[in-house]
Amino acid sequence: MTAMLAITRMTVRQVLGLRRLIGLTLLAIAPAGIFFLSTSRSDPSRIAEGLAGATVGAFINLVVPVITLIMASSVLGSERRDQTLSFLVLRPLSRLSIAGAKLVAAFVTAFALTGIGALALGILALIRLDDAGYVVPMLVGTAIATLAYAAIFMPLGYITERATLIGLAYVFVWENGIAGALTGLAGLSPWRLGFSALVDLAPASFGPAIADMRSFALGDLQPGAGGSTVKVLVLAMLSVAVTGWILRRRDLA
Amino acid sequence: MTDTAAVAANPALVADATVEVTAVSKWFGQKVAVSDVTCSFGPGLTGLLGPNGAGKTTLLRMLCGLTVPSEGTLTIDGQLPRRHVEVYRRLGFVPEEAAVYGTLTGRQFVAYAATLTGLPDPEAATERAIAIIELEDAADRVIGGYSKGMRQRIKVAAALVHEPEILVLDEPLNGTDPVQRAHLIALFRRLGDEGHTVIVSSHVLQEVERMTDRVIAMVDGKLAAAGHIGAIRRAMSDIPYRVLIETDDARRLGAALVGTEAVFGVTVEGPALRVETTDLTMLGRTIARQARDLDLRFTRFRPEDESLESVFRYLVRRR
Repeated sequence: MTAMLAITRMTVRQVLGLRRLIGLTLLAIAPAGIFFLSTSRSDPSRIAEGLAGATVGAFINLVVPVITLIMASSVLGSERRDQTLSFLVLRPLSRLSIAGAKLVAAFVTAFALTGIGALALGILALIRLDDAGYVVPMLVGTAIATLAYAAIFMPLGYITERATLIGLAYVFVWENGIAGALTGLAGLSPWRLGFSALVDLAPASFGPAIADMRSFALGDLQPGAGGSTVKVLVLAMLSVAVTGWILRRRDLA
Repeated sequence: MTDTAAVAANPALVADATVEVTAVSKWFGQKVAVSDVTCSFGPGLTGLLGPNGAGKTTLLRMLCGLTVPSEGTLTIDGQLPRRHVEVYRRLGFVPEEAAVYGTLTGRQFVAYAATLTGLPDPEAATERAIAIIELEDAADRVIGGYSKGMRQRIKVAAALVHEPEILVLDEPLNGTDPVQRAHLIALFRRLGDEGHTVIVSSHVLQEVERMTDRVIAMVDGKLAAAGHIGAIRRAMSDIPYRVLIETDDARRLGAALVGTEAVFGVTVEGPALRVETTDLTMLGRTIARQARDLDLRFTRFRPEDESLESVFRYLVRRR
């Protein structure tokens, strides 16, 4: 456990550079800024719709995957680029524990940023709607989506040097294209899992606010925090298993 | 353990092997990096010698479990490193490439290695390892600011922090200055004398000669020679050297050299003379005598075929 914590700490230190931190923090709070500016003189129902629009139109479906892509693909990718992976794997640690520590680091670093964006949206919802009930659902939904994306992008960052390009194509083509058009595939889309938890936990007034975008945002998925959490945890375990397997099977840089 | 008869018949094998390489090949696409290599390493220091691109690094990386062999097996104390990660408690590896965290200080880097190995007192182990490589003064500086030689030394400290029985070093003297080199060579020799299995790769024959008597030589991915360095040297003794000589009368010198003991081939090419010999020292003496007798002046005397690579290629051709 000490070794895994050490790997997580070191990885967080590796991937969280100051410039990157500032740039991605600005990206994370940008949807909250849009929400703030676009709803300054609206009535409560329009404010809830504005919150839904900022969440589904920019935050959870774009900002969260992009930030997580950058962070998660770096946790093993940076070790490969710096040729430090050999240092790591030549220790008496199972490849699974290395992969597990890396996934924790990917989630921690990404959620440190996406969580700020979620918190900003939740606090603005509190200010505009006088309802504190959005803060926790925003954080939970964002955490679920972040973990799901981290689970996908961590092994991708190790397998290919073009992880950012492939990841962006995945986000735009699959997540916001195909999985939005074919409602039956919504359950395979990480941000929709997070959004389903958010809708489940959010105040009842949020339901009508997402009516227009329900088909795109949830498809055939029923709102449910429990189901989404279980699915994402299974995905995380699969990711660790696959990454551990790759680390054992492939030649290491 | 390798059987006695096989060891006696094959100088690439040792009786008390801790590291065994059996019929190992590795290819990357169409390129064969290592081809059917069988050898073993035991307590003491062994030099893995070969020109750049000979397959040394690939062999060492396979040995440590970083690269998967295409064929054959490599075991450490009878275990496959990739399947038994506990092997890494007994193994230390210094890779040729950077493999350091540039933002950490030397002390943090070694302490990280100690923590990952699960040592009970990582701080004490870190101080001990840094003292061994005599880098105390620079231990609190970030590695990003280290010279290449200092980086090599801190990597050695990280590899030694858990006091491994087996130490594998890939070109560890690259980038080191003469003082650092002498210190590291003395350290590797001492570890070998203490009974550790120490494998040091190098493409510099003289470096290896200073470290050890036992050598395994590789060329083009194949095992070219193995055993005591004296025996390998004797095997190299009939390598024909080619020497380029420029003088003010190449024809007269060529005629005088033909038939002398050290020379078995002479070609005149304009003002230059190409001489083939197996004994450079004797050729030098002969030429000095001829120059005096014939009153000749020399503008150049240069062995053309003296590189280690050509020596190894010669060994491979002989196989």
